[in-house]
Parts: sequence; structure tokens; C-alpha cells
Amino acid sequence: MSAPAQSQQSTSRERILDRIRAATQPSTAAASSYATLPRNYIHKGALNADARVNLLIERLREYDAEVIEATPEGLPAAIAAQLAASGKRSFVAPAGLPADWMAPGFDWKIDRGLTTAEIEQADGVVTAAFCAVADSGTIVLHHSLAEGRRVLTLLPDWHLCILRASQVVERLPEYFDRCLQPPALVTWVSGPSATADIEMTRIKGVHGPRFLHVIVVHDQDAPATNSN
Amino acid sequence: MSQAAGHHAILDPTLAPPFPQAALNVLRNPQLRKNVTHAIDVIQGKRARLVAEKTDWQELRSTASAIRTHALENLGFYLEQFEARCTAAGGHVHWAADADEARRIILDLLRQENASEVIKIKTMTSAEIQLNTFLEAQGISAFETDLAEIILQLGDEEPSHIVVPALHINRSQVREIFARRMGLKNLSDDPQALTAAARRYLRQKFLTIPTAISGANFLIAETGSVAVVESEGNGRMCLTLPRTMITLAGIEKVLPRFEDLEVMLQMLARSATGERMNPYTSLWTGVTPGDGPQNFHVVLLDNGRSSILSSPKQRQTLKCIRCAACMNACPVYRQTGGHAYGSVYPGPIGAILTPQLMHMQHAQSLPYASSLCGACYEVCPVKINIPEVLLELRAQVTDQERKQAVRFFDPMYLGLRIANLLFARAWIFHAAQRLGRIGARVVTRKDGWIHSLPSVGGKWTQTRDLRGLPSQTFHEWWAARGKEAK
Repeated sequence: MSAPAQSQQSTSRERILDRIRAATQPSTAAASSYATLPRNYIHKGALNADARVNLLIERLREYDAEVIEATPEGLPAAIAAQLAASGKRSFVAPAGLPADWMAPGFDWKIDRGLTTAEIEQADGVVTAAFCAVADSGTIVLHHSLAEGRRVLTLLPDWHLCILRASQVVERLPEYFDRCLQPPALVTWVSGPSATADIEMTRIKGVHGPRFLHVIVVHDQDAPATNSN
Repeated sequence: MSQAAGHHAILDPTLAPPFPQAALNVLRNPQLRKNVTHAIDVIQGKRARLVAEKTDWQELRSTASAIRTHALENLGFYLEQFEARCTAAGGHVHWAADADEARRIILDLLRQENASEVIKIKTMTSAEIQLNTFLEAQGISAFETDLAEIILQLGDEEPSHIVVPALHINRSQVREIFARRMGLKNLSDDPQALTAAARRYLRQKFLTIPTAISGANFLIAETGSVAVVESEGNGRMCLTLPRTMITLAGIEKVLPRFEDLEVMLQMLARSATGERMNPYTSLWTGVTPGDGPQNFHVVLLDNGRSSILSSPKQRQTLKCIRCAACMNACPVYRQTGGHAYGSVYPGPIGAILTPQLMHMQHAQSLPYASSLCGACYEVCPVKINIPEVLLELRAQVTDQERKQAVRFFDPMYLGLRIANLLFARAWIFHAAQRLGRIGARVVTRKDGWIHSLPSVGGKWTQTRDLRGLPSQTFHEWWAARGKEAK
């Protein structure tokens, strides 16, 4: 930006902030008044672990996601069965995806800097997730090494997401409790991409993956509060 | 895309006709009314069911309202915090005092990128500053990517709702637009086929156009992050694939903390589309190496907002999170649709936001585009008391009008001044009653009703009948009764 434009910028910044300050209270006590805001909504759900997982599955299915359940020992076989049933051949995997999740017999490309074109050409993607919220049927991705870059779960038309039961919370505030620090990147995914822009008719699949598959792994022995 | 240019006149508050006049277009178009009513009935039904299942809805509303009020009361603090954190994370923050400055900042950024094309996520704020028209005139094609926005852009239509902007257009109209503009002769009017056509139309654009523009649903002060709420994945495409991302956000969009989203995200989709959660919500913080655009700009837009802050009663207008529940609930919007409001912000929120953004210079008929039934307040997830603001604005319109010399001869103001005189003294009032009874005889029909009044009164009797004056007032009857008793 040219020099005059920059000085214009600093004037606008000051002008806007001056107008705001003239119209509002001085903000020295923002932090202490924030602490007193009422928060009487429900923070923690009341369901037990099984009911919580069942609620998640029900809500995901309402969004037209395919959900199956597996035991920790049966997971690799469950993944292989899902991949085979998809009829698809080529898959991309985040760099940190556990090796035994990449079923043999398919073309796997591991994302160590794949190009957009390479990701676009893949039929599907398999990832982990950070957490899932049963109440709204939401899968939360923080885009860690096992969850992949954002583009990885966007371009392929078919997404298989592996969730452990211990990662499932009942209500949204419980997810925020699990974030010890605010994450830099988050994608909240609630079902396959969809639109209702034409006569409010819900159509599955616009630009994001049109097919969302979820495997819930019953690692019930792990305490529900232990996320990762 | 030349057709997209230059057509926002009907939604430009400085040019749009007054609400009652603009509303006639829709009231006389049965197809349009049918489309609008159908869409609203569907959303309203879904919303009601999903809000009812949320047993802590009122508590969520209270917190959402308190968070938004707090953010506005401390807006300067939180904007500076947002700027500092976003900058530290590799973003660039720009400040635009008005629409003109915002457009120039964005144009400068696009010129630096040598961009001749740009992809866009639906943003009402860019419609507010008429960005597409401006860019088109500068030789830059802006491609909308939200399905409804594509329909509007290709069909050369105007948005009539802030969440489902093409709700006034039905499937066969969409088919006609797509067939014509995409060259698809055999396209069916099945929404599935129409959606697939839009997917194909945009795919190459997503993969090749390196610059994108978005709005923001929320800015997080604590972290410098931006959140965008969407359904289709077009937002994720724009936020992930391009090299450069420009986010245009009103200064009021700020939330203090990341965890405030736990309230907002529970309410927004339920209020907006009647879903438990929208398919995709994205949050990003400045620039992340190896993931998404590496050149990120936020343009903070004032454009009249800071002037709304100074009145605590009117300030609540800025709490809005753009869910559109108020327009879906509004009996007036239901009849007139969105275009009558002469602004990209229609419905009850538009009726209070537009005149204030225009510094009360334009859109003065909007505060009257309401029956004050209060349905909008009841459904508002952040508890904006829209009827209260409407009344406040009506008072301001009246105050302004009173100052104009021409109003001295306006029949209504003349009438009110005379009324003021009559009511001030009992004897004048009683004399006027007696005179009125004589005058009323002229207009009272045989059935004892007044069906039409002369002059300004005629407007009132257009839709109502008035009972003729009785031969005796209560006062007169009481006084006479007292004498008889003696």
C-alpha cells in the first residue's frame, strides 16, 4: 500500500476507535465485567457413556452420515470393510494416521505435502478427529497430524472419520472444556455438505464431501473425561 | 459476469422507494408471495421443533445477549485486542471508516495480487458496500460461490433474505437461470440436479482462482481468530485453497473469547435454518504454515456502526448475529418479502439497522414497517428488543419531520396541532364536541357508521369503518342524570 494510503489507514483506525470510545464506557474493566456475565445454561450432559454414543449415532444418521461401531481390536478390519464397500480405490491419509488404519489393497497417498491436484484426484480420505458432540451430531477437527490439513477433508468426495467413544461429549460446552488452549484451526463438521437454498429442500452434497462415514470405536474402559 | 453489475439500486437505501410503495410489487405478485411463504413456513416449523428440544434455550439467550452487550460496551478494547492477536498470528488488519474506504482497501489488495477474478463466500457486509458492482467496474470479476448467491448473480436478481437470499425464487425459475447462463439445455428442475450443476460450475474456479473474499460470523478478540458458519463447503473451499484471503467484517462482530462460541453456535443454526448445527463451521487464526492462504487480511468496517453505539437503547441493534429468525417470524416480512425493505438487510432487523446505518437520512419509512407485535423480539437469540428500537426511531423520524418548514402545512401535523389546542382546555373541548356532532352528520350514513372521511382521515377509513358520534357524550349524560336525581 502506498504511503498516503497508509496514513489514511492510521487516521481511519484512530477515527473509528475515537468514535467508539466516545460512545462507550472506558474499557479498563472489561476482564472483570466479563467474569460476571450470567452463564446458567447447561454445561454438562446427564447421559451415561452408552447413551451418549447412541445419541451421537442417531444425530449423525439424521444428517445422512453412515455410522458403524467397532471394537478396538476390530477397527482395522472395520476400516477395510468400509473402504471395500465404498467401491473406491485411491485414498489420501494425513501424515499422522496410524499405519494399521491404512488397509492393504488400496492406493494410499500419505500427505507429506501433496499438491491440491493430487488430493482432488483421490476418491476418499480417512482421518481421526479431536472430539464429537452428541447433542448436535458434530465432529470437531483440530487438524492435528492424524486429522490432516483442512484441504484433505474437503476435496475428496468421501470421508471416513474414526472416533473413539471416549472422544464423544454430550453437549457443546463440554468440547470447549476439553480445549485446554484455544486451537488455531477448527472445523466443526455436522454431516455431509448440504444446502437448502432451493425451496428449503435439503440436498446432501454440494462442495464438501458428499459422503461422510463414521466408525465409533468402543474404548469404554478409558474414562470419558480423558480425551487424548 | 457483466450482468451482475449495477443492479443493486432497489436495495440501495439512498435510492429505494418508501416501504409502502416498494411492498406493492410483491403484494401484486402471487408467485413471489407463494415462494416466500413456503420457504418461511419450512424454516419456522423446523426452528420451532429444535428450539423446543433445547431445554436451556432461555438461559442460552440470556448469556448470548449478555456476551454481545458486553462486547459492544467494551468494543474499542476488544477490537484492539483482536487486531493485536490477529497481527501476531500473521494476519493484516485494516480499518475502513466507510463503504468507500473498504472498497478501496480491497481493490488495493486485489491489485497487489494482480487479481482479475476473485471467489467469494456469501457476505452480507460486502453486499452492504456494493462490492461486486464496484469490482466489476474496476475490471475484476467476483464469483459468488454460495448456491443462493449463484442463483442471484446468474439470474441478475437481488437478495431478499439474509440467510437464504434466494428464497423468493422457486426451482423452475432456478432451472431457467442455470440453463440459460450455464448453457445446460436439458437441465431438470430437481433441486438435486440443480445443486450438482452448481457444483460442476464452481469446481474449476475453486481450484484455480487464487484470491478469495469472505465475511465473518464472529471475530474472537482473545485469539485473533475468525469464524465462518456455512452449509455447502463453498466457504471451506474459499478459506482453504486460495493464496490470499480477504475477510470483510463489521466492527460489531467481535466476541471476547473462544469459549463464547459454545453459546453462539448452539443458537445460530437453530435460529437460522432450523438445524441442530450447520454442516460446516470454520475457525482460523491468522496464517497457518502449510495450511490455507498464506496471505490473510481482515478489513474492519465501521460504515455507520460506531454512531449507533452512542445510544444504549439503539446500541442493541449491533448485538445481531444475522440469523434471520426475526424476518422468518415477522407477519409483515411474510407478506412483503425482502425487497420491499430497500436494503440488503430486510425484515425487522433491517427496519432498525438500515435507517441507523444511513444516519437517519434515508429509509425513514422502515421504522413503520412493523405492527409492533413483538414476534421478532421473542425469537431473537440475542434478545434484541426490536419493537423498542422501532419506537425510538419513529420518535426520531417525527422529531426530524417537525423541524421541516413544509410540515407546517401538512394536514396531519396541522390536525395534531389543532388537537393539541382542543385537548388543552375543557371548554374548548366540549365546544368542539358539539361542533363535531354537527359536522359528523354530514359523513355519517343511515346505518350509523362513517364509511369514509375527507382529507387525511380518508387514509384511515380506507380499511376501517368508524361508528358515528352518539347524540350525547358521557359527560352530558352524567350531568343530566345528576339534575334528574335532584
